[in-house]
Amino acid sequence: MSQLTQSSTAVATIAAGQEFATFYVADLLLGVNILQVEEINRHVTLTPVPHSPDYVRGVINLRGEVVTVVDLKAILGLPEGEITKDTRNVVVNSKGEQIGLLVDRIADVVKAPGDMIEPPPANLGGVDGRYFKGVVKLQHDLLVILDVESALAMNTNSH
Amino acid sequence: MSSFDDSQIIADFVVESREHLADIENQLLAIEAGGADIDSDLVNEVFRAVHSVKGAAGFLGFTTLGHLAHELENVLNLVRSRELVPTPEVVDVLLRAADTLRRMIEDIHNCNNTDISRHVAELQAVAAGDDVPSAPAEPPVMAPQQETPMPKSDPTPTSEPDPPVAETSSVDAPQPGPLSPSSSPEPMTPISPEPSTPAMSAPTDSASTLPPVVSTPPETSIRVSVSVLDHLMNLAGELVLSRNQLLQTVNSAEQIGLDSVAARVDQVTSELQETIMQTRMQVIGTIFQKFPRVVRDLSNQLNKECELTIDGKDVELDKSIIEAIGDPLTHLVRNAVDHGIEYPDVRAAAGKPVKGTISLRAYHQAGKVNIAISDDGGGIDAPRLKEKAVTRGLITPEQARDMSDREALRLIFHPGFSMAEKVTDVSGRGVGMDVVKTNIEKLGGAVGIETTPGKGTTIDVKLPLTLAIVPSLVVRSGARRFAIPQASINELVRIRAKDVSTKIEHLNKAEVFRLRGTLLPLVRLNKTLRSANIDIGPDESAAENEALHIIVVEAGHLRYGLIVDGLHDSEEIVVKPLGRHMQDSGCLAGATILGDGEVALILDVSGIATYAALKLPSDDSVCATTDDTIVDADKETQTTLLFTNAPTERFAIPMELIARLERIHSNQIDTVGGAEVLQYRGTTLPLLRLESYITALPGENLEKLYVVVFKVMRREVGLIVPRLEDIRNVSTDVDMVTFREPGVIGAIVVNDKTTRLLDLYELTAAAHPDWFATEKKPNTPSASKSVEAPTDPSAVRILLAEDSGFFRNQVTKFFEGDGYEVVGCEDGQIAWETLKASDRPFTMVVTDIEMPNMDGCQLARMIREDPTTAHLPVIALTSLASEEDMQRGMESGIDDYQIKLDRERLLAAVARYAKEGTSCALASTTS
Repeated sequence: MSQLTQSSTAVATIAAGQEFATFYVADLLLGVNILQVEEINRHVTLTPVPHSPDYVRGVINLRGEVVTVVDLKAILGLPEGEITKDTRNVVVNSKGEQIGLLVDRIADVVKAPGDMIEPPPANLGGVDGRYFKGVVKLQHDLLVILDVESALAMNTNSH
Repeated sequence: MSSFDDSQIIADFVVESREHLADIENQLLAIEAGGADIDSDLVNEVFRAVHSVKGAAGFLGFTTLGHLAHELENVLNLVRSRELVPTPEVVDVLLRAADTLRRMIEDIHNCNNTDISRHVAELQAVAAGDDVPSAPAEPPVMAPQQETPMPKSDPTPTSEPDPPVAETSSVDAPQPGPLSPSSSPEPMTPISPEPSTPAMSAPTDSASTLPPVVSTPPETSIRVSVSVLDHLMNLAGELVLSRNQLLQTVNSAEQIGLDSVAARVDQVTSELQETIMQTRMQVIGTIFQKFPRVVRDLSNQLNKECELTIDGKDVELDKSIIEAIGDPLTHLVRNAVDHGIEYPDVRAAAGKPVKGTISLRAYHQAGKVNIAISDDGGGIDAPRLKEKAVTRGLITPEQARDMSDREALRLIFHPGFSMAEKVTDVSGRGVGMDVVKTNIEKLGGAVGIETTPGKGTTIDVKLPLTLAIVPSLVVRSGARRFAIPQASINELVRIRAKDVSTKIEHLNKAEVFRLRGTLLPLVRLNKTLRSANIDIGPDESAAENEALHIIVVEAGHLRYGLIVDGLHDSEEIVVKPLGRHMQDSGCLAGATILGDGEVALILDVSGIATYAALKLPSDDSVCATTDDTIVDADKETQTTLLFTNAPTERFAIPMELIARLERIHSNQIDTVGGAEVLQYRGTTLPLLRLESYITALPGENLEKLYVVVFKVMRREVGLIVPRLEDIRNVSTDVDMVTFREPGVIGAIVVNDKTTRLLDLYELTAAAHPDWFATEKKPNTPSASKSVEAPTDPSAVRILLAEDSGFFRNQVTKFFEGDGYEVVGCEDGQIAWETLKASDRPFTMVVTDIEMPNMDGCQLARMIREDPTTAHLPVIALTSLASEEDMQRGMESGIDDYQIKLDRERLLAAVARYAKEGTSCALASTTS
């Protein structure tokens, strides 16, 4: 039974195109496949971890689990920003581990049919294109689809 | 029957059969040990186990399995009816068959494809009373047990008439397949016809003929006693009630009684936690039980004779630890057989029992589980280890020369090191002890090794009871809190603000603290954790005028002090792993969530030691690892402070004599009446300059100087030391002739440089002869004032056992200076003989601990055991005594410990015991 439900959802998703949770990091509008997002919270009181890579901002207690929070700006090589009242923590599931992405501001959920997604340019606003899966032209903005796995791969993001 | 039911039944069958066969090895071994004297209960038990497997296998259609079980049963039946003596050969066959049986059960779905013809043939041959075809993989079993297969007739009437026989054999009937009649009452009928030649000729071990097994995942279910489950259920019920109460209380306007509800939740939760932990606890016996077989097989294979004794089977450990510890322990046990126990002829030649003993002991100690694996074999030959390490290029010959035996032992944990003389299939593959060590350390445990050449080796494995919950101390560093597992904490030390500047000493920029005579390297947690991107708060350690909290921690063999900014509570913390982006930080062992919901990081004390690159003389091993130490492993060493006066002249002072090191500015030195002094802690400290009293070039004129503070005649004196070089273990091979002058004991060579060893006592005597005027009285009976009650020193006869000529001379000089009569001996053996042979009684024995032939502890034990000497006071001399050593010494009857070159204390102790001793001697003569 449960298998049935699952596959029917999958079919529905494909038909409707992918849904992306979008957010701003500096001036970039980034999107992550919504199925990969576990939650978005305002949990920004961090415990810093000594000797960790510079893009790791610290760890938080997420309902009893210790979750790493990384600074997307540091990963993407963007200038450092401050934590404001709009700062949010987008918790994604990466390889079975929960990881929080610190973003500047959260935006809408965007539906994008597969044919609307175009390959990313090699460089986007000064950011290396290897972190992006594609771009979607929206009415007023350009949505950049973030490749969460390559952004969180440890060997690539040492600046 | 639906397929679901079927798989369920098969799963049940597997679980049940596993249990039936769990103990079969040890039971078979017990049967073997019993020989012709058969314990019918035991045989019955095995028989029933195999029989149950057979019955169910037949029912479920596992014919091959049933067939094998059936053949096994046949042989067991013969043993039970005393028609077959379970010789080692027979048991070998049974064991091999049982192994295959178990393997088949583990891989139940392929079990019908298993080739069991060889086992069947062997079992049938055994049943027929033929010679057992020796297993091709193994060399012939040793033949000391020459029990001629007894004629099966001798029905020594046993008390039990074996009721199960009838019972079980009657169930044999539904056995499928063309098997020989099992229930045949005349099992001796040779079942010759088809000793299946193909299997006999196939030399491969059955294991290798098996198709590549789809490895079944390790056991994922666990048995929990119903009472524990009931208790859990109750607790869960209580928890729900407490929750309801809590919600009610919180929702009510006044929130009255919140305290009591909180207390209740607290209590229920801890009880729940405890009980759940209990379900995870398993006895270590589940691992131990496979070792008798391991030892038996391996010793047969190697033609050795070993016996395994097991102690503490009931000690419980967390399931996860039990699972992880199996392989390392197996390796250690195999090592004990392979490397530890010698060949029988070697043992006989050494006057040991031919049969070696390996003992496995598990016990609780200090909240941890200890497992000791000891053998009474040849021990580990440290020089040979070194040689080997050199030939393998693991260390340089220079390092080998400088390495103490104790350090050399730790070489066996070096990756790529194998102790075996030759590479066998048993060991010597180069993966070994290092893996064992890493695996055990991964579990939060530690491995220690102790060996006595010729006597045996003991490997100690320390394990935490559980991994999940760790009692920890929460500390503060900057604004952040960190947890340190209690297990690695030795003690806490607080230094008051006003003492900080005097108690913390600086050596080569590193901070050290003198804790009861040993130097403790210090690490500031703030500095260790501070890195460019992390703000852990202001650097409060800069404020020198604050009290210091030092946590004395132990990481393996290294002990050091961790300076933190504050202490919080002790908490039981639940360890959570850190995410994958933070794995390479060696200083952290994980994270936890504190009571207030904040995350605290857990410190890894050994990682911090590595990070801080600690190598200070906190103990001998650390000090000696600096590769340029000049310590000859077999020689006695002395820790000394090395310094230069003029840049070209180097001197050494024994560490034990130094009370403190001070760093001063040269303009702090006052000159009073022509003598240099230092205003120091409200008193005036007289200062000495080397060049004024011994032949030495004038010291360097530096702005910042060190002053070595020491005590002579109960007065503090400071020696001006321009430049400190190092603290070093040096050999006591002292040339006492060439540079000898008052104030200089002699010369040693350190790093190819002649170094003069100073005699602070004589130096002071030269500087302040007036202090000694009343006290110096060589060979005069007028007792020194340091002795409280005068005893006539010439009546005191001291037996001194000390192997190092240097120390013997020094100590003799001390004693003779006070007018005592001294008889020096080179080791414990000679001392004992001298003691027994002497016509005049000795007043006391002063002995070194580490000596060849007979060490100090042994000597003390001998003295205590002999009624004629039992009353003698025994004072031990040590260079640096650890508490453990002292404990051992006290147990062997040593009355007191004194530091070798601490003349005054030593003499005070001798005087004290002399008084007791003479009065005691008087009492004994009068009585």
